[in-house]
Amino acid sequence: MSLVIDSVSKNFGEVQALYDVSLEIKPGEVFGFLGANGAGKTTAMRIVLDILRPDSGTVAWNGRLNTEVSRDTWGYLPEERGLYAKMKVIDQLTFFGKLHGVKPKKAEQETRDWLERFRIPEYADKRAEQLSKGNQQKIQFIAAILHDPQVLLMDEPFTGLDPVNVALLKEAFLEMKDRGKTLIFSTHQMEAVQELCQSIAILDRGRVVVGGTVRDVRRSSGRQMVRIAVDGDPEIAWLATIDGVRVSRRGQDYTEAEVASGHDPELVLQEALGRRCRILHFEITDPSLEEIFIEHVGQIDTSERTLAPKAVYA
Amino acid sequence: MTGWRTLFPNAWYISVREFRSRASSRSFVIGTVLLAILAFAATQAPVLIDKVAGGSQTRIEVVDLASGLPSDAPTVLDQSLNGTATSGSSLLGGYALSWLAGGQLSAAQQDLQGGKFDALLIVDRDPASSDLVFTLRTDMPADGRQAQTIGNAVYSLAIEDRLARAGTSTAAVLAPAKWSVLPVSLSGTATTNNINQELSSSLLSTGLVVLIFMAIITYGTWVAMSVAEEKGSRVMELMLNATTPLQMLAGKVIGNGAAGLTQYGAILGAVLVGLLVQGPIHRAVLGGSDSGPAVSGLTVPLVASFMVLFALGFLLYSLLYAALGSLVSRQEDVQSATSPLMMLVMVGYFMSIVAIQSVTDTWVVVLSYVPFFSPYLMLARVAGGHVQLWEFGLAVVFMLAAIAVALFLAARIYSAGVLLYGQRVGLRQVLKAARVSR
Repeated sequence: MSLVIDSVSKNFGEVQALYDVSLEIKPGEVFGFLGANGAGKTTAMRIVLDILRPDSGTVAWNGRLNTEVSRDTWGYLPEERGLYAKMKVIDQLTFFGKLHGVKPKKAEQETRDWLERFRIPEYADKRAEQLSKGNQQKIQFIAAILHDPQVLLMDEPFTGLDPVNVALLKEAFLEMKDRGKTLIFSTHQMEAVQELCQSIAILDRGRVVVGGTVRDVRRSSGRQMVRIAVDGDPEIAWLATIDGVRVSRRGQDYTEAEVASGHDPELVLQEALGRRCRILHFEITDPSLEEIFIEHVGQIDTSERTLAPKAVYA
Repeated sequence: MTGWRTLFPNAWYISVREFRSRASSRSFVIGTVLLAILAFAATQAPVLIDKVAGGSQTRIEVVDLASGLPSDAPTVLDQSLNGTATSGSSLLGGYALSWLAGGQLSAAQQDLQGGKFDALLIVDRDPASSDLVFTLRTDMPADGRQAQTIGNAVYSLAIEDRLARAGTSTAAVLAPAKWSVLPVSLSGTATTNNINQELSSSLLSTGLVVLIFMAIITYGTWVAMSVAEEKGSRVMELMLNATTPLQMLAGKVIGNGAAGLTQYGAILGAVLVGLLVQGPIHRAVLGGSDSGPAVSGLTVPLVASFMVLFALGFLLYSLLYAALGSLVSRQEDVQSATSPLMMLVMVGYFMSIVAIQSVTDTWVVVLSYVPFFSPYLMLARVAGGHVQLWEFGLAVVFMLAAIAVALFLAARIYSAGVLLYGQRVGLRQVLKAARVSR
């Protein structure tokens, strides 16, 4: 009972978009695809949705191949968002609902409920072209979930949204999760992943470099982070002298140091106590997802290797 | 390709949306109204031409070689040429008749060649049938409007003559008259005596072929535009999860086709109304009783085959238009992407214009079975009255087969094309992608 991606590979001419990708996503889970531009996130989602066919490998939902399950299983919020520019929001959403087999009356009611929740009920009778991008995005989200799909796939759902709308969307996510839906999304925003996801996979140039629960992934490197602040010594110069410890960031509130695998972060505390420092803050934690990501993928690179289209709004 | 079972209702929803968005667009409404007005105006053109040409008289000398011509023959001829309302006044109607006795034939011919008259009408009687035989010597075009009008007029005279001789049946009275149009030069031979019929059939088939040609180009482009628009606005991405390419294709072709038919209906309606009111308007403006061009030869089989060929031709071409439309990311590129198809449509059209004059030629017969050309050439053959039912059926079967192949190919190209973005996607790239997409 889960979504199983089994050894999926996909080439576009010269470009190897996915290479032997295997993943298992449990029902009811929130799953994050992480990766730089062109890492294969969009291709992976399209293959799950059976919009693209893989060169090899299979995708199965609850034991049935994705080519055989109903299209209504999936809800999809594509990265490149578009609506029918001249069509009224309510007509547009009822149309998408009908395509997924939702009765027009029910589709309209659901739409109005969601518009209410997104605090834009007055937009029901406006044409899509009259809406701001952020509001168009909310309409597209409604279009993706109107038919109550079991699995919701969202490609970069947070891009282009202001903090208020991001919060609204996260709220909607959690509601879908509470309804027992499986949520899969791709993003660059590590904070959102850390906050929402139980499991992730980091993709790099078509390969899964690391995957699993967020906790396991953060522990996967074996490194640990120490955050320390001592009274009257903002530099904490002695930190670097400890074997296996490297200062990774000097902040206002605390200094962060990386403790290599096989070394005990307790040593830092002992050293501080030995030096009779007055400790204001001490914390042992796993590396953040961003650090893991950079470790595996390198700097979040903005160069274009993407197969996805440039954003154009209708 | 599991789309057949599930083609509906989604294809239906899509076609309804396509139809509404097309039919409610400003360009559609304005275009339809404008075209309908133009079409109506075109039907009134003869009135305008008569009005303009009203001043210049056509001078005809009539030489009576026949014995026992009804005494009211000059009146009959004059009235049918110039209309009843203007009795006596040949100025408005534009035909001036001078009657000469049989002995003056050679003098009349001299006058004609000297340019004193525009035409010489010789009235004779066939010794065998005692029916009147007419000969018109003129440099006016034999298929021109004036020659036609004179032809109609002498027909009235012939009927008048037959009635005068009585004893003939109604059928005989209404039988077509023999009349010939000869060039001024005496050595010329008579052209066929069923000019009217031939002319009307070739005019008719030209008209019908133009109707199909315009429909395919205009509404096929609509389909391509609608695909490119969806792709350009990225709404395609939402559609891809909600539907299958086959459903989208079918919906677009049906929806845009229905919008096209609506526009066509409006235009044809305007033409019909125009033809109906042409007579009254003609009388009101010119005081004549010109009944306008009769829509003769428009038989039930011809109309039925027109509708079948129209529908199948539109289906075949618009599927290909949809496939080509899926290759571009912007509506501006639709024109260049669909130009190969445009060429194909043009070739068929021009061939048919030539073919109308020679519907029995082998090349016409052979090419009329090629699905891309059937809508034109088979129609021309049907209009020419040289087609067996099985021949028509064969062309329809070929077209249906071609549509099935086009549907399969278009769905493939479409499902691959809609995911490829870029300046212009090459066909090779698409075919490569098509092999691995659903």
